[in-house]
Formats: sequence, structure tokens, C-alpha cells
Amino acid sequence: MRKFLVTVCIGFLLPTCSLQAQKKLIPAPKDSLSRQEAIDDNGSVDVITEDRMNKGLVTNSLSALSGQSAGVNIATGENRIAQLSSVRVRGTTSLTGGNDPLVIIDGVYSDLSTLSTIYPADIASFTILKNAAETSKYGSRGASGVIQVTTKKGSGEQFHISYDGNIGFESKYKTIDMLDRNGYINTATARGLFYNDGGYNTDFQDVVTRTGYVQNHHIAFSGGGEKSSYRASVGVMDHKTVVRVNSYRNFVAKFDLNQKAFDDNLTVDFGTFGSSQKNKYPFDEWKLFYSACTQNPTFPAGRDAAGNWNKNTTASQINPPGALLGEKNDEKNLNFNAHIGLDFNVLALLTGRTNDEEASSDKGHLHLQAFGSYSYNSLEGAQFCPTWVWAQGRAYRGERKTEDWLGNVSLLYDNTWGAHHLTANLLYEYQKSERTGFWTEVKGFTTNEFGYDNLAAGSTIPYGGTGSDTDSPVLCSVLGGLSYTLLGRYTLDANLRADGSSMFGDNNKWGWFPSVAATWDIAQEPFFRALRDKISIFRFRMGYGQSGNTGGIDSYNSLSLVRPVGTVSYGGTPTVTMGQWRNANPDLKWETRSTFNVGTDLCFWQSRVVLTAEYYYSRTTNMLYQYDVPVPTFTFDKLLANMGKMSNQGFELGVGVTAIQRKNMELNVNVNLSWQKNKLISLSGDYNGTHLSAADITSIGGLNGAGFHGGDNNIVYQIVGQPLGVFYLPHCTGLKKNDDGSYSYEIADLDHNGRINIEDGGDRYIAGQATPKWTLGSNISFRYKAFDVSLQMNGAFGHKIYNGTSLSYMNMSSFPDYNVMRKAPKKNIKDQTATDYWLEKGDYLNFDYITVGWNVPLRARYITGLRISASVNNLATITSYSGITPMINSYIVNSTLGIDDKRSYPAYRSYSLGLSIQF
Amino acid sequence: MISVSRFLRKIQMPAMMAVAMLAMSSCLDESPKSLLDEDKAYDTPANLYINAVATLYNYIGGSSDSQGIIGTCRGVYDYNTFTTDEAMLPTRGGDWYDGGLWQNMYLHTWTPSDQTLNDTWNYLYKVIILCNHSLSVIDKHKSMLTDARTAAYKAEVTALRSLFYYELLDMFGNVPVVTSETTKLCDARQIGRSRLYARIIADLQQSLPYLPDERSNYEGDYYGRMTRPVAHFLLARLFLNSEVYADDDWTDGQRPDGSTMLFDIDGTKMNAWEACIYYCDKIDAEGYRLESDYAANFKVHNEQSVENIFTVPMDKVKYQNQFWYLFRSRHYAHGSAIGMDAENGSSATLSTVHAYGYGTSGQDSRYAINFYSDTLRVDGNIVRLDNGDPLIYRPLAIALDLTGTEYMQTAGARMAKYEIDRTAHADGKLQDNDIVVFRYADVLLMRAEAKVRNGDSGYADLNAVRSRAGMPAREATLDNILQERLLELMWEGSRRPDLVRFGLFSKAYDQRPQLPGEESGYTTVFPIPDNALEMNENLSQNPGYSKE
Repeated sequence: MRKFLVTVCIGFLLPTCSLQAQKKLIPAPKDSLSRQEAIDDNGSVDVITEDRMNKGLVTNSLSALSGQSAGVNIATGENRIAQLSSVRVRGTTSLTGGNDPLVIIDGVYSDLSTLSTIYPADIASFTILKNAAETSKYGSRGASGVIQVTTKKGSGEQFHISYDGNIGFESKYKTIDMLDRNGYINTATARGLFYNDGGYNTDFQDVVTRTGYVQNHHIAFSGGGEKSSYRASVGVMDHKTVVRVNSYRNFVAKFDLNQKAFDDNLTVDFGTFGSSQKNKYPFDEWKLFYSACTQNPTFPAGRDAAGNWNKNTTASQINPPGALLGEKNDEKNLNFNAHIGLDFNVLALLTGRTNDEEASSDKGHLHLQAFGSYSYNSLEGAQFCPTWVWAQGRAYRGERKTEDWLGNVSLLYDNTWGAHHLTANLLYEYQKSERTGFWTEVKGFTTNEFGYDNLAAGSTIPYGGTGSDTDSPVLCSVLGGLSYTLLGRYTLDANLRADGSSMFGDNNKWGWFPSVAATWDIAQEPFFRALRDKISIFRFRMGYGQSGNTGGIDSYNSLSLVRPVGTVSYGGTPTVTMGQWRNANPDLKWETRSTFNVGTDLCFWQSRVVLTAEYYYSRTTNMLYQYDVPVPTFTFDKLLANMGKMSNQGFELGVGVTAIQRKNMELNVNVNLSWQKNKLISLSGDYNGTHLSAADITSIGGLNGAGFHGGDNNIVYQIVGQPLGVFYLPHCTGLKKNDDGSYSYEIADLDHNGRINIEDGGDRYIAGQATPKWTLGSNISFRYKAFDVSLQMNGAFGHKIYNGTSLSYMNMSSFPDYNVMRKAPKKNIKDQTATDYWLEKGDYLNFDYITVGWNVPLRARYITGLRISASVNNLATITSYSGITPMINSYIVNSTLGIDDKRSYPAYRSYSLGLSIQF
Repeated sequence: MISVSRFLRKIQMPAMMAVAMLAMSSCLDESPKSLLDEDKAYDTPANLYINAVATLYNYIGGSSDSQGIIGTCRGVYDYNTFTTDEAMLPTRGGDWYDGGLWQNMYLHTWTPSDQTLNDTWNYLYKVIILCNHSLSVIDKHKSMLTDARTAAYKAEVTALRSLFYYELLDMFGNVPVVTSETTKLCDARQIGRSRLYARIIADLQQSLPYLPDERSNYEGDYYGRMTRPVAHFLLARLFLNSEVYADDDWTDGQRPDGSTMLFDIDGTKMNAWEACIYYCDKIDAEGYRLESDYAANFKVHNEQSVENIFTVPMDKVKYQNQFWYLFRSRHYAHGSAIGMDAENGSSATLSTVHAYGYGTSGQDSRYAINFYSDTLRVDGNIVRLDNGDPLIYRPLAIALDLTGTEYMQTAGARMAKYEIDRTAHADGKLQDNDIVVFRYADVLLMRAEAKVRNGDSGYADLNAVRSRAGMPAREATLDNILQERLLELMWEGSRRPDLVRFGLFSKAYDQRPQLPGEESGYTTVFPIPDNALEMNENLSQNPGYSKE
């Protein structure tokens, strides 16, 4: 039977007409989805099975998904590693947060950070749910899309062991071309400028980088009998990136057990998962790269002969890069999850029939499912700043711990009579989280030897540096759903969900979110019969639904509370006082997103050509946001409230072609293309009878560094009536020559008022958007006998990037305090006013990886499969962007969106060898 | 089995959902553990005082931009200092341009859309509304207090609120008055500068009897609090500026006459100058005296000063108030020499340096205390630049934009005044020297001025201040008194009201030209921030500023 809801059974994840029409290049485990199954279902979900996951060097499971699904953007950090909270399904729909898709791992509600700890080889499939009717089943948590992850389970057959592993190295191939010693000295001398000569010739970008190293190993065991199966796996991932101090290490272990009982009328699924991560990050990545680029190149890489770290004293915004490497910013992340699911075939149990008898019953099936899970996460942070970069030194230790309890009970009814097929379900669900935090900060070190390992070495524990907190949000849900299919070709789904969140106001805790969807399988129509051997699937679907979003807000915003706000003298003693710190909003309520979608799926010639197309429009209302409110009468200038509106629309197209399909040769081409458009419709509304409106123009991100403090250095804005994240800049008409022969940016008087005013609302215009209009993911794979080649390309188009790095490093007025780019002296610009001069097209096509594999045709007694592969990641990028890489943050709305500002992580390639053996 | 589907599909399912929701609803109540339900914060008289009254003292100083009336950047202090002839934050190449913020302050070319101005407005009103909230909290819980205590608590909050209304009155002129936390937006209306002025005086006078007659700058029960002498000082300042504050239209070229304005002071009719003198005398009577050493008021441990009246308590470990002014003034090499960072910024103006008689035989003794000037020595050693040259601050090379000039990095006499706390944290921003807000020397100068304005002699008061500094006596003319205020009160954040009172603020001074139209005096108050105007349509912009 087709199961419907949050269950742990793999049959649940029946996909749509999968784009992946080719035979598998890698020996697939038995439990992955067959093509026939893939074509059976009638949803519009997007399933990425193992053969479609990225095959290059994959250092975390999020990157396995990159470029594989239309409308799903996996943003990477500056280091090209997929970042947490960096996945967007169909763009950004909420301003406060809650834009991360829900991750469900084997039925357990989880998050991106937990997903990133799962070993990629443990994953059988990803299922992406994007439409309201599908995500509505998951309520508020699924408002921003759902990524279901199914991990591999035991096959219930004979004992198997498999090993997967790869090793590789990474080397940088592009850094910023700054002046070297000679260039620095010659430029300063030619201009009669005083400079410090430390006597060395150091490339500080080399100082902070190295050859990176990756190794991943994974062993899985599976087996079982007729009634049961199990799978156990352990894995380790170890990654030292090209940037010194930046490394990741992850141990994972996983165990799953499935047991059938009572004539197969009861199915028990048990699973447990644990991971332990240890990551080391640069303390301040921005400052590290800014310093590496602009440090005086005549200074030594390390300390000078006298034991000092050299720096131009006037270069106050940077530090010696070698000294910065002595800072520590480490993280330990521990995850544990255990879950159990029970599925009772109720009618069969009541009547004492076996499952087989029950299956053939014409009276329908009634299943009772119960599911419970417990998750524990502990995140420990530890930081240390030595005395040479931080006066008196500083050490920090902190932890965040989260416990999540989830329980649900559902009733599923399923019956077929005549031409009718009906399923109905009812679900109760309860989720509670308990989060606690604790942190402490210590200063006043006389030695740097302890780092953060002995806080007693610090003399002072300033007030405000130590604290703890806790909150425990609760989410309750009730869902009723019906699905009715007539003649196997007309399907109507209807769901009604009530979500209750503890975080909203007393009278607004519950929100009602209905959804409805219809599918018409035209290929099943009698009139289509003649064409059916050419077109096996021709489906038309349409849906509308609402979902609630808590917008990633914190607990307790609706309550009138106080907290410690500082210490004052009371009775001669420093005394902590309580006070308000934000405006409370007792009327806080659900943010609602309404989505309409229409789409079609087509499969031609036995799925040699597969095509899916979908259009969606979604509108966010009652949008949660920190609105500007008038002071007076409010105490604070922001209020978390529900006003504003935002829309998102897009078109997604997927094409899969098996161009060649012969015994010895196969060629597959898969392309997905999506167009997205976001619009911030309004940021005003009524609160308690008073009309409030937030500023129409709000800056999101700007430039930092020497000479960029405050002032008109904002670059990316959110502007009502525009997409989130537009460049709002003064217009530069060209370079103008100054009296001293240098150049500055000539700024246009856009409002023709006779004077140049580059404040917001003055001589500025909307110069483009930071998020891509089009994104492309494409995979080409070719097999000849036992050899195969796979090439992955991802692209993004229609957006721009602000090259703040060049603006800063081309400014000769910061020389020689700060080093400049090699071409800067010739261009001789002495200006760093932020204008559209450095706004560049961000379009790119990136060759993410190429993998060559050989499935060794062994005929050994115990070895059933052996595969050897070699990959190159980050092969090449086609772009007109002049900076290091156009693959900066172009998706996530935060202060770095669309701005390349001195976070110049070098571009690097990874070379790796992989080995996979099945016994 | 169709019946089962009907059972689910038809009437019962929504009903079951509703039952389930009811059953779950109680789980959705929030019970925070690391935050406190407000009512529980006022469970005892002591806690009521701590969390409704004492907590407000967190907002006198501050630790981030635009918060605090003194100590931090881009707030009340900067608007009273860098807009005047006293000091400037010159642009030094890539440093300190900051979108023209500091140049605009000096040139008076600020606009209603300045974010910093808006943040300052929001800060001042935030504290006022927190005061209003505290007043209603005290009322709500007064059953556990004696009437005397209730009155004392409310008086302290009211007087504190008056300090913040005073800053609004001084900076923005005509502002909305909000005295209850239930005031609706449509009732938050401007009441005119003179009415606000009268209201602040009335609030302070009514609070006086209930305020403790104790020193606020001494450590102990009254440390950092709004005691009676502090309120006396504020009243004296309000009366000294009455011609400005009682003027509803400051652009019409006319001011009311302080000598004919009559106020009821403790049952006696007095003109503005007499009222000022009256409150100065009160402070005298309360025992405040000049320290024999000018610098003693600004030492690391200045809590024993007999001169300081109102200070922001500072302790690098115990309190969060910060002091940015030394840090942002000194040169980088200067910072390194004392093991702290630096921002190489604020400097004395040319006219200030000249006023001290810099380089002349008659150089004022307070010059060396207030400024780092010429060749810098730390612990007796010459501080050197990267090129080995000594660090020489060049007071006479100062200009608003130093970019490209020879002394771009070293021009300007830098702020000294406060003794460097060599054990300070956060680059000296967390130090132990209490920040001086009001002190007795100012009282003497206020009284000298009020006496002169009232036709009497201010000679004794003026020269008490001068002789403490070891400077020869001067005739107590208004001009000499204004100059003495500069010399004595340098870097203390009161220059703008002084220039406004003397009618000089909108004239050309130092290196600053007069703006076109500035002779009307419209720049003597700042514009109401655009943001505030947009969100409260009852508000009107101050004269001379157009809404952009």
C-alpha cells in the first residue's frame, strides 16, 4: 500500500516520474527505487536517488544535492563548502527567518546541520517537496519546502558488507594579485611615500593557505531474515581545507532495524544515529583574508628577529596574518537520535488474518501508526584570541544543547472499490524542544599557552560575558487528509491542518492551513491509448494551499517580561537590575504562505525522454518582521509583528534524455532550469488600530574595512516593490582626473537637483538584483562498458555582484598603509566611494566536478562489486566576473548577500580517488 | 467498510480535530525560566527600587553607539561637541570620513535623514518611556511602600526623566511630550519649546523635596544617582539658558529677556538669572568645592572628588559603561605605546588651541592637562612612528579634511584630560575613571555669568576657577566667561548650549563658514528625524529644515 505520512517505511517515498531515466552507473543497493516505482506515483515531488546524487568529492551530504533539483539552491560559503542554513527551496519567503527547508531524516524532523553530519553513502534518496499540497502535510515546519532523506536500510537478504572511501587533496589556483615586495617598494618610492621595509618578500595569501587534504571512509553491514532486516554503518570524514586552521572531522554511526510480527500485521522500525563533529574555523575569516591581502609584503611571515609581529601601525583595520592564525575558533557538535515506528494493520489484527489475506481484502485497510523520536544535540564553541591580537587576550567557552521530543499517532484508511480509490488519514502530533545555552568569557591573560583550555589563567570575568538561557517551544498539530482517485487517472487531495505554536499570542496560537491538489493523468485516458507506447506518462497537476510559518522567531515575544539589563550601584554595591529590552507583542500570530502551482510531467519512449515543468506563485502574508515603530510612543524602535506581504513566483523545467542506450554504451543528459522572481510587496499595516509602516528602503549589507565605517557604504537593500536584495547605488559615469593626477569616481546627479548626495533617497538608483533570476543544474554521464564519466555543471544568471574587494584594493589612497592590487598604481584611483563602478555581472557556469569511474568486472567469490573512480572538483568556471569567484552568497538574505567584500577565500580544486567495494 | 471512510470523511473528522486541539492547547502556554514575568520583578520594596528605579541608571552611560549621554560615540555628547568651535573629528584619508558624518557636524550640514540623529532621538525617548513605565509600576505596587517612599521613588524617576527631556529640549527644541505609558500615538504631540521648558522646571522643582540631599559622585548608597544637588545643577543650567529654552520661535531673531522672565522659586519671584544663582548657591551650601588640583577630578580613582557633582560610575569589571573618547583620539603609535588600540581621530580646533595660548608665554596651565600635544612621551620615552621619527602631534596643522596633507595622521592636539587607566580593558574603553557629567567649576562659571547678566559682578566666581588653575585674574565680562568655559570645561560636552546661549552657534567660527540662511538661527536646534516624522504624522519639522 502507499503510505502517506510521516512513516519510516521506505515505500512512502514513492517518487514521481524521475528525471533519472538511465540505468545505474553504480551498483545500486536493492532498496533504492526502481524506475518502475518511480513512475507509479502521482505526486509532483522531486526525488534524487543515489545515482543522481553528486559523485565528485562530496564532503557533506548537502553537497550531494547541489544542482540536482530545480528551485533548490545550495549556497556555499566562501570556502565553497555547503553551509548550514544555506539551502533555499524556491527562494526566500520570510524576512525574519524560517527560510530553511524542513529536513526529515527517516521520519524524524531534523535540520540542515544534522543532515550535514550524515555520511553521504548512508543516504538512499532525497525527496524534495515544494508545492503547498505536499508541504502542508508538514505544517509550519515545511513552509519553506521539505527535504526528505531516506537512509539505506537492510535488505533482509544475505549478509552484506560494503566499503566506500576516497582520499584527495585540494590546491588553490587563484588568489588576488597584490603588489609584491618590489612592486610595493617601487610604487612607494616613485610617489615619494614613506614605507616600512621589513626586509622580506612575503606573499601573505600563501602564509594563510596550504594544500588541503580529504579522506572519507565508510563501512556498512546489512543482513537479516525473512521477517527482519538490519543495517549498521560507521564512517569518518576528515577534511583539512586549503586555509590553515580550517578543518572538519566527523564520526558517524548508524543502526536501523526492521521487524515484522503477528503474521506481518505489525511492522516495527527502529533506528538510531549518532555523530560527533569537530570543526575548526578561522576566528574572523573576513579579517584573515583582508589582512593577508593588504599586509605590507616586506614583512616576515612570522615574527621578526626581535620576536614581534610587524604591522604598519597606521593600518588599524588589519593584523599580521600569521598572528591571526594563532586565534582559535573551534566547535564540537554532538548529535544523537533514536526513533521507533510501529505500524498496525488494525483490521487484520482484529480479525486475525495474515497480512497477505488482508492485502487481498476488498474491505479496505486501516493502519494505525505510532512514531516517537528523541534527538539530542550539543554544540560547544571555544574561542581564544592571544594577547598579540587582542589586548590582554580573550577566551570564550559556550554551549548550546537541544533536546527534541516528537510523537505522532496516525490512522490511515485505504480502500479501492470499483473505479474508486480512497485514502484518508488523521494525525496528531506533538513536538517539544528544550534548548539551553551557557557561555562565559574571560580576559586578562599573561600567557597564551593555555588557549581556552584553562580559563583560570584569565584574571577578569567581565559582567555580561557570562550567562545562560533556556527556552522550550512546543508545536502541536492536528491534520486530516483525504485523497480520492477515480478510474486511476483523476486524483483529488485535500488536507486541513491546524498548527499550534507556543510562541504566539494567547489568542493566536492556532492557525488553520488548508490545501487541495488535483492530478489528471492524461496518458491513462482511453483516447490516449494509441499514443501510450510513445508517451507513457502525461500528467497535469494543480494545487493550492496554505502553510504557516513561525519565521524562525524566538520564544516569549508575546509576553511582557524582564531580564537583566546591566549593573548599577545599589546601596554601594554593583547590583544587577531587570528591565525591558524589546517591545512585546501580545498579538503575535502565524505568518501565512499561500501557494498555487500548476505543472505537467511527460515521459516519452519508455522514459528515454522525461520532461517536467511547473509554475508556482506564492504569497506571504501577515509577514513576521522587526518593523520600525515610532519612539515615542513605543519604547524601542522595533516591533516583531505581522504586517507586510511578499510574493515569490517561478518556473521550473527539468529535462532528462537518454540519448544512447545500448548494452555497452549509454549517454544521459539531465538539465534542470529554474526562473525565480521575488517581490517585497509591502511592509506596512495596522497594529492596535495604529497604522504603522516600516522604512521602504532598508540596507541589508554594506562594505567594511578601512574608511568604510558608517557613511554611505551600504550596497544591498531591501526595497518595497523590489525583489529582496537589490543593489541601490550611486551611478558612476566614469573616472575623473584629480589635480594631483589621480582619479576618482565621477558620480551622476541622478535626481537633477544640482548637488551630489549619495545618501539613501538621494542620488542612488536600483542597479540590479543580488539573487539570480535563472539557475541551471546539468549532469552529463556517459558509460562505455564498465567505464563511465560524469560531469556536473551548475550555473546562475541574471544577477550582479558588488566587487567591494576591488574597490578597496584598487584605492591608492590607502597605500602604503595597506597593500594594493598589482594593477592599482597604474590605474591610480584615489577614491573608495561605493558606486556602481564595481558592480559586475554575476552570471556563471561552473563545472562542479568530473568523475571517471571503472566498475571492475570481478568474478570473485565474495566480492560482488568493485568500483574505482577519480574526480576533480571545482574544475573551471566560465564567468565575466573579475573577482576570485562569482560563487559568493547569492541566495541567503543576510549582510553578505551579493557582496564580494575582501572575504577572498582562494579558489581551489580538489583531486580525489574513490574506492567502493561490496561483499 | 465504506462506513469507516464515511466515519472519517464526514462529520466526525473535524470534530476529532477540534477535540485534539483542545486537549493540546494547554501545552502551548509559555513559562519562561531564563526570563522573568514582569510582575515578579517587583515583589519586595527593595526589588521595586532596583528594577523600577535603579535600573534606569543603566542608560546614563552606555556601551554602544548613540546610547548614553556621555562616554560613547555618535550620540548626545558628539552633537554637543563636534558641532562647535571646541573640537572636531577631521577626515584623515581613509579614516574618519564616515560618509561625511563628522564634517556635516562641524559644518552644520546635518540632515533630517541622518541615522545617527535618529538613533539619538530613539535613545532619549527610550529612556523617557522606560521612566514612564517605572512611574506606573511604582503606582501599581505602592501598597507595599510607605507614602514617603513612594514619593521618593517617583521623585527620583521624575527627576531622571527631566534630565532626558532637558536633552531633547536642548537638541530638538519642539518635541512631543509623553508622560504616561498608555499615551497613544495620536496624542504624542509637540507642545512648543517654552511649555516643555516650564514643564521640566516644574517636574524638577516638585521632585526636589523628595530627593536625597546627598553627594552622587561618592561611592556608597547614592553613587551615580539623581540626588538633590544633581537636580539643583540641572535647574541652574535650565535657568541660565532660559532665553533659549523659553523661545518658541528661535528663527525670528528675537529672544525673551531673562531678566524680565519671572519664576516662582520656593515661593519667591525671581528672574531667570536670580533663579540660576539661587540654585548655584544651593550647591555651594551643599558643600561642593573646587579640588585644588584640576586633574584630580579626572584621575583613575576620582570618586573622592569634592568638586564632581554627577558622574557615570565606571569600573572595568563591574559596570558596562564605556568611555571611547581617549581611544578614538590618540594616534595608533600612541595606543601601541600604552598597550592599547587607537583610532587616531578627535582633535582640538585651531581656535581652541589659540584660546589656550598654545605656544605663547601665557599658555593656560590646563592645556597640558587637557591635551596631548607636540612630541609625545609615554613613561618618559619618546613614542616613535614606523619610520623612526618621534610622534609629534601638531595642534596648528588641524583642518577638517586633512587628506593628503603633510600631517594627515598627526595633526591636532589630542584629548588627554582623563588619566590613562593602564589596567583598562577594551582598549581603554572600559576604565575606572568615572565620567564627569556635572561638576562644581561649572556651577561657579554659571553663577558668574548669571550675575553678570543680572548686572552684578561675577568676578569672584570666575577668578576662583582661574586661580585654581594658577591663571591670573580676568575681568568678568561675558566674553571672558565664555572663554573660561571653554578652557575649564574642555571635552566635557557642554559647548554647543554655550555657543547657542551666546548667539554664536550660527555664526562663522574657527574654520567654519556660516551656512546660507543660518543667520536665522535655525541650526541651533537639530531637525526632527525623518523617521520620527514619517511614523507620527502629528509632528512638524523644526523651522529651516525641509522634509526630504
